[in-house]
Amino acid sequence: MNRVQKISLTMVITFSLGLFLAIVFIVMRLFDVDMPKIAFLFPVFIAGSGGIISITCFKKDKGDIIFDERDKLIEKNANLAGFGAVYLYVILMSFLPIGILGEEGSIPVTWCPALLIGAGFCQAFAQSIAILVQYSRGGKDG
Amino acid sequence: MGSDRLSNQIRRLRLDNGQMTQQELADKVGVTRQTIIATEAGRYAPSLPLAFRIAQTFGVPIEQVFQYDKEQP
Repeated sequence: MNRVQKISLTMVITFSLGLFLAIVFIVMRLFDVDMPKIAFLFPVFIAGSGGIISITCFKKDKGDIIFDERDKLIEKNANLAGFGAVYLYVILMSFLPIGILGEEGSIPVTWCPALLIGAGFCQAFAQSIAILVQYSRGGKDG
Repeated sequence: MGSDRLSNQIRRLRLDNGQMTQQELADKVGVTRQTIIATEAGRYAPSLPLAFRIAQTFGVPIEQVFQYDKEQP
């Protein structure tokens, strides 16, 4: 497993955990469980910790050649997957409020930066999954 | 529509050339060991320049390394 795979795996694990916690917190909120608003930052911190772990824990791969044409192709496809995921996310986030709140509904403007952060996580999540899937096609060590 | 398959003789050629390891071949052709593993297993179709470099490393024509099979529909 090379450095890119390790980073992607860490990202997928931390993002999944963060997403799970966010869903749990939202459900708790729906059932009127008393909790401070700041608690909603915890899943974001968990999800974001993947990047910090990756930078600090995973050192560069050994060997003279650490990146070649196959890695380049995988990276390109992963970028495309990430872009596609963000595109879907934007479509979903554009129409979801109308579906949930109705035509007369409104959302606070403070949600806009949160949606942007969500787009970033969505892109990184899809990219990481695409990287892992493509490398796994290379065989046990590929 | 039929599917195409690219088979290769890299493993046999490595063994015939003094038990060359995957890492040694990777270093000679300028790619990572993972790429050699994936190519050998037929899970990655190398670029034309890489295919030529592999053939040149073994000193054989490219068609002795890679075989293209087009399955009938």
